[in-house]
Amino acid sequence: MNDGWNIVVCVKQVPDADDVTIDPDTGTLNRSDAPAVLNKPDHNAVESALALRDAVGGTVTAVTMGPPPASAVLQAAVAAGADGGVLLTDRAFGGSDTWPTSLALARAAEELDADVVICGEESTDSSTGQVPPGIAAHNGWAQLTYTESLDPRPDEGVLVGTRDVEGGYERVATALPVVVAMVFGANDPRPAGLHRKIFAETEFEPVQWTAADLGIEDRVGLVNSPTKVGGMDTASPVERERTRVDSVEALYDHLAEVL
Amino acid sequence: MSAASGPGIDVADYRDVWVFVEQHEGEAAPVSWELLAKGRELADETGESLVALVVGDGVAHLAEEAVARGADRALLADDPVFEPYRADPYGEQFRALVEARKPSIVLIGGTHTGRDFAGRVAVPAHAGLTADCTELAVDEEGLLLASRPTFGGSAMATIKCPAHRPQMATVRAGVFDAGEPAEPTENAADAVESVEVVVAEEDTLSTVLERVVGGVVDITDADVIVAGGAGCEGDVTPLVELAEALGGEVAATRAAVEEGWVEPARQVGQTGKTVRPQLYIAAGISGAVQHLEGMNGSDVVVAVNTDPNAPIFEHADYGIVGDLHEVLPALTAMVREKQEVAA
Repeated sequence: MNDGWNIVVCVKQVPDADDVTIDPDTGTLNRSDAPAVLNKPDHNAVESALALRDAVGGTVTAVTMGPPPASAVLQAAVAAGADGGVLLTDRAFGGSDTWPTSLALARAAEELDADVVICGEESTDSSTGQVPPGIAAHNGWAQLTYTESLDPRPDEGVLVGTRDVEGGYERVATALPVVVAMVFGANDPRPAGLHRKIFAETEFEPVQWTAADLGIEDRVGLVNSPTKVGGMDTASPVERERTRVDSVEALYDHLAEVL
Repeated sequence: MSAASGPGIDVADYRDVWVFVEQHEGEAAPVSWELLAKGRELADETGESLVALVVGDGVAHLAEEAVARGADRALLADDPVFEPYRADPYGEQFRALVEARKPSIVLIGGTHTGRDFAGRVAVPAHAGLTADCTELAVDEEGLLLASRPTFGGSAMATIKCPAHRPQMATVRAGVFDAGEPAEPTENAADAVESVEVVVAEEDTLSTVLERVVGGVVDITDADVIVAGGAGCEGDVTPLVELAEALGGEVAATRAAVEEGWVEPARQVGQTGKTVRPQLYIAAGISGAVQHLEGMNGSDVVVAVNTDPNAPIFEHADYGIVGDLHEVLPALTAMVREKQEVAA
């Protein structure tokens, strides 16, 4: 393991969450055609992958699953410093919930002979956090979710992660391969270098794999997704008084009723 | 509907409602008992048994407490390999139990540990897993209806799992009521079944080197929360003093936590905690959907913001336009004054 680790970083394209607000009267989203961007927590995953490569050597390969335009997030990872990118793209993947999605990423990680797979904490558009442990489970690998920092021990073939647990933290040593999910905000992502950025935008072409390339064409997509959306209801907006007061005294009087 | 692909199971073989009793060092996570109370309702509706799954080292007392709290039975996997929690031995034990006993529904707390566990164990079972549900019900066929707010909390999506089992859901702490704790009855132990431990230490993939917990506040228990956002501009003293005067806790938005003004354990919102206090004072908080999602269940919301157009005012019962560094200290003084009069 002294020639470095194969590091795979999983990234996802999501609608930009920053300018989305709720209309208080209808309870619907004011989404103003939010542009598609790299899932924010994935920036921390990319940074961790690059920092790990700095520490132990090896390569960083970004992987995403989605239609061809999703390769934009691979480009972002390459601009930040990833060595290459793989796009898992196939109509067969359509409608996949977290079970087949984590299978596809797990198979890709296997194909890439990954030592470490790094993901973001969760995606901002579906926020389940289920894909990283799902990848680990599909491959029977170790997992480190809610990880704040990584301490690689390449001589022992061990990765130590500090995990955020309720009420504190824990340090866990895992055998390789291991799937890591970094806590959102765990690090300060480095800015993309100019040359790398130009390379990503002009020369970089992702490798493309289909479900058949991964040998899972019969195990993905809507039909292999255990969960089905049974219905969507507009969440009834929480009724609020929306009373403006113009003095602290008036505010206190209202609060006195509550307290 | 049959399982067209996947494991090709017969869903009729699966029955009972299981609740995973999350525990650390023999102490149950509060969400475990909240789920047990909810699981009781679901099991009564489907006419099935409520089964508590207790995994740990020296945790028979929790299995008995689960029975006292309404579980028909408890399955106990008691072994040193299960303390502290690790995903791989817990996952392997769970896989074996699901294969052998075929539960229909499994409820798990939406803590970091619970989500780590749920995400791992759903895969080998080819189970349907719905994260962070805020409503759980069963339909006339006994299917679990797991509802969760979709992105931004603007809509509720109801997720079903028609052809796969078990039907799994995680639920955050504070969503359901735990009910009153009960004294273990004398025959509670009779309803506890020790199961075969299928994991050996040498087969595990990870080692916990160190675990440091305690001394961190749990804001989900607080009746009053004074929360700050970007408007704090580095000074959270007004929040701390008002929270003290009201006997409440300080909380914060992601922005304030990222600035390092408030510790991460106090973060409210999508990547933080969900809170439902009687009173939530949002000071210097604009009202991003990611934050609203974590506090929309509060009984009364007060907004303090310099920007009269801040969205938070639309989601508050009482709003005052002003600088929190002036409004909060004035409010604190008033609260203290009345307390002194009352004393």
